[in-house]
Amino acid sequence: MWQVYFKELTELLRDKKTLIFVILLPILIFPVLFGIVGLVMATTTSKAMEEQHRYVIVNEQQAPEFAEALFYHKNFKKVETTLSTEQELIAAIRNEEFDVALVIPADFANRKAAVKQTEWQLIYNRSSQLDFMYNYFDEMLKTYTEELQRGTLSQLGVDPTNLTAILKPVELTRVNTAEQRENIGESMGAILAYALVLLCLSGAMYPAVDMGAGEKERGTLETLLICPVSRTAIVLGKFLTVLTTALMTALITVVSLGVWGGIISAFADLSKVSEALASITIVDLMLMFSLLLPTAAIFAALLLAISIYARTFKEAQNYMSPLTILVIVPLMIAMAPGMELDVTTALIPLTNIALAIKELLKGTADYGLLALIFASTTALAAALIAFCVHWFQQEKVLFR
Amino acid sequence: MIEIKGLAKAFAISKGNKLSDTEKQDVRYSEKAFHSVRDVSFQCGSGEVLGLLGPNGAGKTTTLRMLSTALKQDSGSVFINGIDVLQKPIQARKEIGFLSADTGLYGKLTAFENIAYFARLHGMKEAAIKTRIDELFTLLDMHNFANRRVDTMSTGMKQKTAIARAVVHSPKVVILDEPTTGLDIMTVQTVLDFIKSLKTQGTPVIFSTHHLDEVGALCDRVVVIDKGLSSFSGSLEQFKQLTPDGDLRQAFLAVIANQPEQGAA
Repeated sequence: MWQVYFKELTELLRDKKTLIFVILLPILIFPVLFGIVGLVMATTTSKAMEEQHRYVIVNEQQAPEFAEALFYHKNFKKVETTLSTEQELIAAIRNEEFDVALVIPADFANRKAAVKQTEWQLIYNRSSQLDFMYNYFDEMLKTYTEELQRGTLSQLGVDPTNLTAILKPVELTRVNTAEQRENIGESMGAILAYALVLLCLSGAMYPAVDMGAGEKERGTLETLLICPVSRTAIVLGKFLTVLTTALMTALITVVSLGVWGGIISAFADLSKVSEALASITIVDLMLMFSLLLPTAAIFAALLLAISIYARTFKEAQNYMSPLTILVIVPLMIAMAPGMELDVTTALIPLTNIALAIKELLKGTADYGLLALIFASTTALAAALIAFCVHWFQQEKVLFR
Repeated sequence: MIEIKGLAKAFAISKGNKLSDTEKQDVRYSEKAFHSVRDVSFQCGSGEVLGLLGPNGAGKTTTLRMLSTALKQDSGSVFINGIDVLQKPIQARKEIGFLSADTGLYGKLTAFENIAYFARLHGMKEAAIKTRIDELFTLLDMHNFANRRVDTMSTGMKQKTAIARAVVHSPKVVILDEPTTGLDIMTVQTVLDFIKSLKTQGTPVIFSTHHLDEVGALCDRVVVIDKGLSSFSGSLEQFKQLTPDGDLRQAFLAVIANQPEQGAA
């Protein structure tokens, strides 16, 4: 068995595709992802924040203080117009004559004096994902209305020292009982589990294809079968190699994530993230690894069985493609809002692993449930390994 | 000593597969199975070289696969030096050196690594492996490409490596499936010389081939397989006597022409 294992490993390490999928991809995937997402976000945000919006204001004489504040805002540029109806303004925005129109009612000053509520209209194209413009208006309007409120209340003879309490009698302060780690675990845990499990699968896929269907196609399998070694030893040697590559992929990914996460935290001054990550103990990491071990074994046994059955490399890849979707579904279930780890979900393959990893990251894992997940996943892995060994004894499979 | 008696092997035909008109005419096809080997018997003693002849698809490779324990026969028996391959396949494999029609080498390993890997699978110790490989490299003139990766080798180099791999454990019997196909003249000569050396050592050798000149030069015995039956089994002299002028090609064609369409030979 070990002779087969070491030989398969040697061959894989000399294969460029394996090096790319097992080592290079996991090392580069996170920095590349962080880099691309960060770059796109930074560029888009910066562009949106620096953008100057052309505006028109209808009946500005009704609210001169607000019109003045808008005039001096760095993100706005006034455009003169004689248009006043809603349809005319919409048509002009669609023709890109200006970007936004603020319509103040013609009787605003009178209604204000009579202490009556008025509705203003903001007309603009809301298709942009980053709606900074509305935020600018909202902020300015908040300041303006607060000034109006203070003015009106003063006119009504209210003591100026009580104004703040009258305007906002209740201030709600949020006290979060969740630790920083819990928050990060909740938001990142499922995604990390998703990435880890899928990387285990992708790390196992190519070696499995190569060691089953690949051997058939190259004609080396027959030579191996006539050596004085039991077929169980051969298939276990191959299984261990696939398992090793799957775990290596996951391990390299975790290390890469840790290293790049650390670098990014340092540069971005994300001290809370760093503190939260630092609170994850070595025991938590070992528990995560111990859950990934039988998961990777399931993939290794399943993929090897498929590969052994296939006549060619291409046929094996065709059989394996739907498997990726079958793996994604239970992982997506784990990411659904409200999904919690309990005795039922602990018995759903892959969903249980994803939920367990999330709980471990949050620091709220129930060790009894973890033991149940480990036992059920190991039992499934053992059954699949037994099937793979049985499969490898079948002539109709080996010599199709 | 290799003894084969009444060997037969059938492969199931998938339910969806419909037989072509040609296949319907072939006695080896039934609705459910393809009877690749129906009844093959022969013997090969110490120091004998047995040439296994037959048209393409006659059942030669399936017969050799059963001999090498890669496939299990449905009926009949195979004994390698008295060991029943069905009862004790692992023990039988220790006795056999098998070269398949494909070279069966790992492209990303060197010649040395390929041979050493199979030597280890045969339970050889590291020191013995080095000595034996060095001996084979000299015998097959392989020292100049010992550390070259197989996927960069010529066909001849690969075949020499495959032969060395097949005999690294000093097998008691050697089975070669078309060992000279696609090789240049020089490499063919090396392979033939190697078979002669095995014969000199008293090792029984079975080799399948389409080259009748090789049969004439090397073989003591000839077996012709056609449509899964051993149509001829005898000495080279007996094979030659099938035609008046002793021409091997004519003898082969005569055996094939006399093959009965139905039933066992």
